[in-house]
Amino acid sequence: MSFARLQHGGPFRQTMILVGLAVFVVWSAGPVLWLVISSLLQQKALIQQPPDLSPANFTLTNFTTVVGAAAALGRGIFNSLVVSLFSTAVALALGAPAAYALARLPVPRANGIAFLILATQMLPGIAIAIPLFILISKLGLIDNVLSLGVVYLSFNLPIVIWILRGFFTSIPVGLEKAAAVDGVGIFATFWYIVLPISIPPLTAAAVFAFVEAWNEFFFALILTRQHAQTVPLVIAQFAGQYQTVFGQMMAAAVISVTPVILLAILFRNQIIRGFADGMMKG
Amino acid sequence: MTAIELKNVSKTFGSYTACRDVSLAIPEGEFVTLLGASGCGKTTTLNMVAGLEDVSSGDILMGGRRVNDLSPVQRDVAMVFQNYALYPHMSVARNIGFTLKMRGMDASEVRRRVEKVAASLELSSMLDRLPSQLSGGQQQRVAIGRALVREPKIFLFDEPFSNLDASLRMRMRAEVKELHQRLGVTSIFVTHDQEEAMSISDRIAVMNQGRIEQLGTPEEIYSRPATRYVATFIGSPRIELAPGIIEQSHGTAVCKVGSTAIPLPAQTKPVEAGRQVEVGARPEYVKLSDGKGVPARVRLVQPVGPTTHVTLDWEGGTLVSSVPGFVRLAPGTATYAEIDPSHLLVFDRASGERLS
Repeated sequence: MSFARLQHGGPFRQTMILVGLAVFVVWSAGPVLWLVISSLLQQKALIQQPPDLSPANFTLTNFTTVVGAAAALGRGIFNSLVVSLFSTAVALALGAPAAYALARLPVPRANGIAFLILATQMLPGIAIAIPLFILISKLGLIDNVLSLGVVYLSFNLPIVIWILRGFFTSIPVGLEKAAAVDGVGIFATFWYIVLPISIPPLTAAAVFAFVEAWNEFFFALILTRQHAQTVPLVIAQFAGQYQTVFGQMMAAAVISVTPVILLAILFRNQIIRGFADGMMKG
Repeated sequence: MTAIELKNVSKTFGSYTACRDVSLAIPEGEFVTLLGASGCGKTTTLNMVAGLEDVSSGDILMGGRRVNDLSPVQRDVAMVFQNYALYPHMSVARNIGFTLKMRGMDASEVRRRVEKVAASLELSSMLDRLPSQLSGGQQQRVAIGRALVREPKIFLFDEPFSNLDASLRMRMRAEVKELHQRLGVTSIFVTHDQEEAMSISDRIAVMNQGRIEQLGTPEEIYSRPATRYVATFIGSPRIELAPGIIEQSHGTAVCKVGSTAIPLPAQTKPVEAGRQVEVGARPEYVKLSDGKGVPARVRLVQPVGPTTHVTLDWEGGTLVSSVPGFVRLAPGTATYAEIDPSHLLVFDRASGERLS
């Protein structure tokens, strides 16, 4: 996207657009900035009212302490990686063909099926928490990384299907007709034609699913104990019963949020293209 | 030998009938165009020939063999699409060679054939480019190359030039016609552009509301349109028709338009007096004169180079005359229009069929 469009309209309009964008940037980036600052402040400077931001109070101690006590955080990050990668990969592997079938193949009542898939996401998590807990504990899979991954898959899969179905619908039918005339079957068309041109939406869906799983707190809390704890739970433990070590908690949060932010920056263009409409028009 | 034959082919989508009872026999090597306005069933017919659309009833034969249930590949057809339908992530070379690769052809043989086709279409310097780096005309040539490389028995074109600008369209038209003259592959071409159809085809099937209105050579379609629809659809500028009634005058039938009696052409079918008709003549058979013919008044003058189209008002409504070269006439000028009686087209007003 270019800012050329900002050139249109009067100075008032331009100012308003810039102010609007500035508010949005502060709104989105402000908490992250505050997170980083507080991870670098000493506890006593941080809990002062207002916080004392003089340079002398900045320190890396929080990070060294957190990394020093790395066992918990390291395991958390490892668990989060496993859970997020597993649920993302499987959601894509199952979701892409499902989305293609619902978008393009003569599946009876495809719209109804797609809606049902979306409807599974309309229940609040709390409503299924207890039955899910009972089910998983009866299976003896509490505190198991992969069982958590399967739970995450259950909400990542519908989202992936919906993102990809929207894109597949916009692919010109001519491409598939051309492939049919070229002697390419349905599976080969999907593999050689549809998937390669769908890299932007696949990336967008993957990042979306990964972040969802990486940040998830509620189900991780009820379905894990020690062994399978993910990053959000480890961070939460810095809030103790008698004292919350804010600096260390923030440092841990910075460490855990970094991969997600890197991921978003790295695939920025793909994500924007993936979500933008009409990429295949014309 | 008949390459393609459609026998009473119909296609319905739910309660909507896209094609009804289409019958058409195309000898080997012929170039046939399905011409019609959008929604007339021409693309549906082409898709059924290609095997991209099932036939609801009727049969499609190729080389005498029924192919209704065969896939596009088994029918050995190649198709060029309106939106080119190039694979956007593949280079020109891969686009052209993809179909051969999918048939498991040896890579070096694929390359040899791709290069040969690319050379014949002047695409050799662009083999490594992506479709998005090509102009519309180049993309369409790649699409044609992709069809050519297969060396198919039948070529199908679905409005291949409608996304190109006018001058490029003319050039591609000539290229496709030359290609057909060179290779002689049986071809079906779909378009809504009557001029394109006239210039490129051996025969034209004019379609309307899912039916073939008339099948004939460009000359037959133009000079002897079977119906009012064909007459008004074909030809630019469009033929204007005036309502009239058949009357007997001194023992011969004439067509009365208002107070004007127009003699019917000699070859007119016998018609009884009182029959409601519509009459008109192609603009090149309407001449401006100083006193002969019907009185008229100039409404509009449109020079197009070789000719000038003069639109006239007369008793019967509108009349268009095509005058060679440039003419200077002010709107409102009173004049006379003389219609060549041997080229008068008379249609039954109720059925739309040609009587003359």
